[in-house]
Amino acid sequence: MADGPSNGGYMVAAYIVAAAIVVGYALLLSVRTRKL
Amino acid sequence: MTLAQRGRWVTGTALALLVAVYVRALVFTPVERFQGLAQKIFYLHVPAAWSAMLAMGLVGLASILFLLMKDYRFDRFAAASAEVGTVFALVMLTTGPIWAKPIWGTWWTWDARLTLTLFLFFLFVGYLLLRGAVAEASLRAHYSAVLGICGLVLLPFVHLSVYLFRTLHPQPVVLKPSAPSLPGSMLATLLFSFGVFTLLYVGFVMQRYALALAREARGDG
Repeated sequence: MADGPSNGGYMVAAYIVAAAIVVGYALLLSVRTRKL
Repeated sequence: MTLAQRGRWVTGTALALLVAVYVRALVFTPVERFQGLAQKIFYLHVPAAWSAMLAMGLVGLASILFLLMKDYRFDRFAAASAEVGTVFALVMLTTGPIWAKPIWGTWWTWDARLTLTLFLFFLFVGYLLLRGAVAEASLRAHYSAVLGICGLVLLPFVHLSVYLFRTLHPQPVVLKPSAPSLPGSMLATLLFSFGVFTLLYVGFVMQRYALALAREARGDG
C-alpha cells in the first residue's frame, strides 16, 4: 500500500491518541454541561 | 435552545466531520513517498497546532479587551478559550513526537520550535492554574489577562521560529507568504481538517463558556 518506509504503526498510534484526547474532552464537557 | 445545547450540537457535528477527516486522510489521500504513512499524522498535528494558536491568540485579544473595557464576558471567553486551547496543545504535543520518532529518529529534541510550543502548553496550564488559585473574581480576571497577553506575544515567535532559528522542524506549508507547497489532494485534506478543528474549537468554547456562566450564576465562578 505504501510507497515509502513502513511506519504505519506510528500513524495508527497518533490517530488513536488524537481521537482519545478530543473525544475524551468532548465527553467531559458533555457531562459537565448536561443540565444546562 | 441554550448555549450549552447549541455547543453540544456544534461539537457533535464537528466530531462527525472529524470521522470524515480520518477516512479522507487514511483512505483517499496519497501516501507521501519519502515519509510513508507517518506523514499522514500531519493532517491532525498541524490543525491541532492551528487550533491551539487560535485559542491562545483569542485568549490574548479577549484579555486586552477585558483590561480596556472591564467587561467580564471577555474574561469568561478567555478562560473558556484557554481550557480548549490546552486540549489542542496536548494533541499537538503528542502527535508531533509520534511523527518525529520514525522521521527524525528521536521523540523529542530541544530545538526552537519544539521548545516554544512546549512553553505555549505550559502557558496554557499556568493560565488555568492561576485562575484556580485566585478566589477573588476581579483579581483573577486581571492577573490572568496579563498572562493571556504574554501568550499572545509568544505566538509570532512560535510561528516564525522556523525562520529565526536553525531548527529540525519543517517550515510552514500553508501559512506562509508564498503559495501552499502541497499537492492538491493533500492540501484539500489539510484544509478540510483545519475547518473541522476550528469547528471543534467553536463547539468546545460554546460549552465551556456556558459552564462558566452557570458557575457564576451559582456564585462559585
